[in-house]
Amino acid sequence: MLVGRFETWICLAISVAWLTGSVAADSPPTIPRVEQDTTSSKVENPADGGSRQFDVSEAYIMVNIFHTHCIVCHGKWKQEAGLDLRTRDSILKGGKSGPALVPGKPDKSLIYRRIRADEMPPKQNIFGNEQYVSRVRAADIDNLQAWVAAGAPAAGETNAAKVATGPEADPFVDEDHLDHWSFKPPIRPEIPVVTNTTRVRNPIDAFLLSRLEQQNLSFAPDTESLILMRRAYFDLIGLPPTVDEIKRYAEDNDSQAYERLVDRLLESPHYGERWAMYWLDAAGYSDTHGQINRDEFRPFIWRYRDYVICALNKDKPYDEFLREQIAGDELYDYAALDSLSPRQLDVLIATGFLRTASDATDEGSFNKTGNRHAVLDEQIDIFSTAVMGLTMECARCHSHKFDPIPQRDYYRFAAIFRSAYDPYDWRIPNHVLHPPKLPVPRRYQRYLYHNSDVPTPEVKQYNAQLDLPIQNLEAKISDIKQRRRRKLTEHGEIPEEQLATPEIQSLQKEISVLQSRLLAPMRIHGLADTGGVATPVFVLRRGRINSPVQEVKPGVPIALNRGLEPYRVEKPQSSTDTSGRRLALAKWLTQPNHPLTARVMVNRVWQHHFGRGLVDTPANFGRAGAPPSHDKLLDWLAIEFVRRGWSIKALHRLIMTSTAYRQSSRFDESLHVADPDGVLLSRFPFRRLDAEAIRDSLLRVSGRLNDRPFGPADDFAMDDGGEVVATLIPNGYRRSIYLARRRQRMHTLLELFDSPAMVPNCVERVQSTVPTQALQLFNSKFVRECSRSLAVGVIDLVGDDRPSQMRRIYLKVFIRSPTEAELERSLNALDDLSRRWAEHLSATALDEVSSGEAYRHALATFCHVLLNSPEFIYVD
Amino acid sequence: MNENSGSRQFQQLCHADAASRRRDFFAQVATGTLGAALAPLLVEDLLAGERSQRVLLPQAPHFPGKATALIQFFMTGGPSQVDLFDPKPALKNHEGELPRAFLDNVESVGAAGGLLPSPFKFRKRGESGLEISDVMPHLAQCADDLAIIRSMWTTSFNHESGVLMMHSGRTLKASPSIGSWMVYGLGSDNQNLPAYVALDDPHKRILLDKQNWQAGWLPPVYQGTRLRAEGSPLLNLHPKEEFPESVLQFSRELMSRLALEHHQRRPSEPDLGARIASYELAARMQVSATDAFDLAREAQHTHCAYGLDNPNTASYGRRCLIARRLVERGVRVVQIYMNVNPNDNPWDHHSDIEGNLMGSCGQTDQPVAALLKDLKQRGLLDHTLLVWGGEFGRLPLAQKGSKPGRDHGANGFSVWLAGGGVQGGSVYGATDEFGYHAVENRVSVHDLHATILHALGLDHMRLVFNHHGLDERLTGVEPARVVKDILQL
Repeated sequence: MLVGRFETWICLAISVAWLTGSVAADSPPTIPRVEQDTTSSKVENPADGGSRQFDVSEAYIMVNIFHTHCIVCHGKWKQEAGLDLRTRDSILKGGKSGPALVPGKPDKSLIYRRIRADEMPPKQNIFGNEQYVSRVRAADIDNLQAWVAAGAPAAGETNAAKVATGPEADPFVDEDHLDHWSFKPPIRPEIPVVTNTTRVRNPIDAFLLSRLEQQNLSFAPDTESLILMRRAYFDLIGLPPTVDEIKRYAEDNDSQAYERLVDRLLESPHYGERWAMYWLDAAGYSDTHGQINRDEFRPFIWRYRDYVICALNKDKPYDEFLREQIAGDELYDYAALDSLSPRQLDVLIATGFLRTASDATDEGSFNKTGNRHAVLDEQIDIFSTAVMGLTMECARCHSHKFDPIPQRDYYRFAAIFRSAYDPYDWRIPNHVLHPPKLPVPRRYQRYLYHNSDVPTPEVKQYNAQLDLPIQNLEAKISDIKQRRRRKLTEHGEIPEEQLATPEIQSLQKEISVLQSRLLAPMRIHGLADTGGVATPVFVLRRGRINSPVQEVKPGVPIALNRGLEPYRVEKPQSSTDTSGRRLALAKWLTQPNHPLTARVMVNRVWQHHFGRGLVDTPANFGRAGAPPSHDKLLDWLAIEFVRRGWSIKALHRLIMTSTAYRQSSRFDESLHVADPDGVLLSRFPFRRLDAEAIRDSLLRVSGRLNDRPFGPADDFAMDDGGEVVATLIPNGYRRSIYLARRRQRMHTLLELFDSPAMVPNCVERVQSTVPTQALQLFNSKFVRECSRSLAVGVIDLVGDDRPSQMRRIYLKVFIRSPTEAELERSLNALDDLSRRWAEHLSATALDEVSSGEAYRHALATFCHVLLNSPEFIYVD
Repeated sequence: MNENSGSRQFQQLCHADAASRRRDFFAQVATGTLGAALAPLLVEDLLAGERSQRVLLPQAPHFPGKATALIQFFMTGGPSQVDLFDPKPALKNHEGELPRAFLDNVESVGAAGGLLPSPFKFRKRGESGLEISDVMPHLAQCADDLAIIRSMWTTSFNHESGVLMMHSGRTLKASPSIGSWMVYGLGSDNQNLPAYVALDDPHKRILLDKQNWQAGWLPPVYQGTRLRAEGSPLLNLHPKEEFPESVLQFSRELMSRLALEHHQRRPSEPDLGARIASYELAARMQVSATDAFDLAREAQHTHCAYGLDNPNTASYGRRCLIARRLVERGVRVVQIYMNVNPNDNPWDHHSDIEGNLMGSCGQTDQPVAALLKDLKQRGLLDHTLLVWGGEFGRLPLAQKGSKPGRDHGANGFSVWLAGGGVQGGSVYGATDEFGYHAVENRVSVHDLHATILHALGLDHMRLVFNHHGLDERLTGVEPARVVKDILQL
């Protein structure tokens, strides 16, 4: 038994060494240490080489000496010499050589003597290749001596600072602090009475209009039908309508035509692709591990992206959506099952939500305790801003300056995740399995489930799309072979090899490219409890990992607890020995009257429809955040959202059928004073498309969008000029949501139009207006190519009639017909351009130039101008 | 205040358009007269508005600073202080010894060797007698212009967090860099070029890539712009394929016509004014960036001085020469980066400290010194602050290997400053007798940042930005001090 354990350690060590060996051959060997560095306190107090600033407490000794330097060999999974150094009690009990510690007698304490003599931790690379445990700092050896000499006092027996650790009242959190709107559950408000009732289509309008009427304002008139159509398309699916869709909608005179349009869009598979982007932004989704220069790929995280797209398309209730993402692994005993159904797999994939933080601990030199803590801290930061609208990060180092979140609440909250993310019993991320060069024992991987080879419906659907083109190519090959055989058999029997031609070879190559895209057995990039008793969690003084103060138990910020069922952990019956801490969190968060959960989500949906949230600081609903512009509306929506079964689609429908949403974006100068920034919604906000919508629209209007959904991310690469561009796949390019999201060296066009790098997440994108955007649209090869395809496609479809061409181009690009004047001017401009192109071509070409060629160039140039114009990238 | 009058002018223009509308409408545009007339009006219109955050006008400093521009030589990887700027003769006498206390902070215990004396000889240089080792012969000639801080320390000895710390004063990702803070404080003197430029080798990577010059939570207008020292300075500055100039000209004008009409239908949208202004700036940059990067305009002897005639120094030399041309044109901040191999930081000399240091210095020493001398000769040095250094230093210990290297050291290292307001020929602070630990007049990264801001007339306590309800500073919450001893006051 013991031998088996030892072997797994060797495996881990070797695998890490293999990883570090994968850097450039001429670079110096990076030598990973198993445990943390201890520089920070030394740096903080340099003059004396890092003297103690605190009483020597049990917590200090346990964390800085035993947890950091010893428990890899004397801990949960392995007890060398029968010794377990995780707790004071187990140290006193000792191992094969007797008690490890004699209180009051350092010189009789084996553990002190071995460390003092520099025999422990072993200096040799005890785990094989290049793996070392760091030394105990000289000052800490003195600390150990002092602690043992003082009788090895347990926590509570020393003078170490006391902090409140349980859910009891904290002097820091007084009633004054708690009296903040977002910490109190929403109460259903009365729907206000307004004067101009004709503009009220639903209660949203009543709330907004009552505020407007106080200022003697009203809504702008309803906007024109095609403008509304364009707005709805970009809002819900992030793509412009096709010409056929425009025509059908324009001809639909039914009074409910718009409502039905909204319904159609909500049913579109593109809806999930659009709205997943916002959720993935908030979740900090990236296709790379990040943090280090290599920015290594996360091979299986895309399944989480697909999970989000499908969940949104299916309108999975938001509470269920959260439950699966927070505690999917604790919802059922997955480990006890031999195989999982697609639905069961899905729930595990959902926990990818808690695996989005940058994590480079697969490389030894980034696998120190400090790095591990950093992964968890980043994940908590993402979680609290995305789901709870709180900036809990501040409370990691000190009690929150503005919000009633004492420091211990941060660590209580962290403890919820610490049974899965235990810095002292760590799991490394997964890229070692891809390709599987060296096996890492399952216990040290973060994979959730290893036999997850059952394809989900999405995977089947994805693979099925590739089957047909592969079959077609195979048919082509057998065709060619047949023909050749017929031709050659006139000269006798021909062996199979001689049938091969360059054409067949290239077809076979195409087949293998397609085959390589088929999804093979996969792993789940998710999160699960590591099982057993978690290493104790301490409040850390100033957030320093070597300054533990006092132990805390898992819990939620007490400021949010009023009127709620308290956070209560019930350990599930599970073969994984999971703690149930996250399941308890999911239950606590999804209570219908939770003060933040519904408000934050409603605000997010509102934000992406109107360009700004009702709370303008979507990551901060705390006291330092912005107060809601319409507090009663926010509460009404939050309650309505829950009442309608947490349905996100119902929320869209409610918002989009309001007068507020359907009004015009035009406004007159007088509103500059009364509603300068449009906060009161006296008009619809005029907005620029975001990066993904710009790129996807360019692809859509030029007919180069490959609609294939799901699957591994499409990669991109740097071209000769240094621009990072997507790699062409068969039939064009896929939507930007399927482009790999990297944290460094991003896709140039997306980056220029403010697509954010996930460091760590993004709940609100910036919108910059910089000249490099103009250069990108005007000079890049990509937009030129789109212009040409657009021009050629239109000529192919409508023939040579120039006014028809022009009308179609306007419809495709601007979703409107040109005015008569515009049409006339455009045709003139086209003539002029044709003349210029003809002059140029005849001056440079060797042969006679046809007028048709010059015209095609001119039309492409004209399309290019339209794609460069603000009308294309702004939405009324 | 002028936003309405701006709009009125705009409307008058539109009326004028209507009056002169005729069949061949675009003929008028094609002459270029209309476009030319509109451009300045639009810019004024934009500047008059309250949203002038979109353009970078010059801002007054907090107090008159000597320097108006910053050039930072960022030496990623951690240059070894005891081999360059901080002579430690004691290493010779204790060669091979390994003090137990040192092991506390050694990255790789098993590979730690004993104390390793520098393979390079130090000499007193110039009138000041500043000591610089033989591996930087060119910089040594500039000793009287340098102020060396030998007592730097930082909080992190990982490259990533160290680099973030040195750039933004924080180890958190997504924090604004010092260049962004500077442009936030001082704006730009040149409306045709980016105010904040990063120069690296476009064919290779550098650690953390554009995170080095990010605006973080400052508005994106303060973000650094990577200009390419080879090929086209900006991506897509010019079309990738040849287009007839007559067609390009026509389509630019057509585009600006469409943009104006679109704006005219929505006169109250300031974003559209800014969008059109960005088109105009893009057009101007096609000329001005091309000009700034046109090194053919430099004399042959200048090319030689910067080492452009030598394949070993040419790449870094180009960046240094371009930096001078940018500063001449009013660019506020230029950061010059060095890349060697993919995944290999140029100053991260874990092995063969002697050979590798000769390599890194060989590529950079001459160009850096040439830039310093060139600026001085042109009278620009007084107004330009130069800062040279990495994210940390190295240990005085050997890192074992066939040829010994040195491991990361964060407790004591050197940086130097020169130019605008710096007291040349001075040394500040000291490390212990082995060069391991800064012991005298310790300078934190925040202190260094405060000092740099001070040289440009900015008070680090007053340069604040409200983020999430907190007044954030480059130098953070803990006290920082300006190292006045190295400044001319």
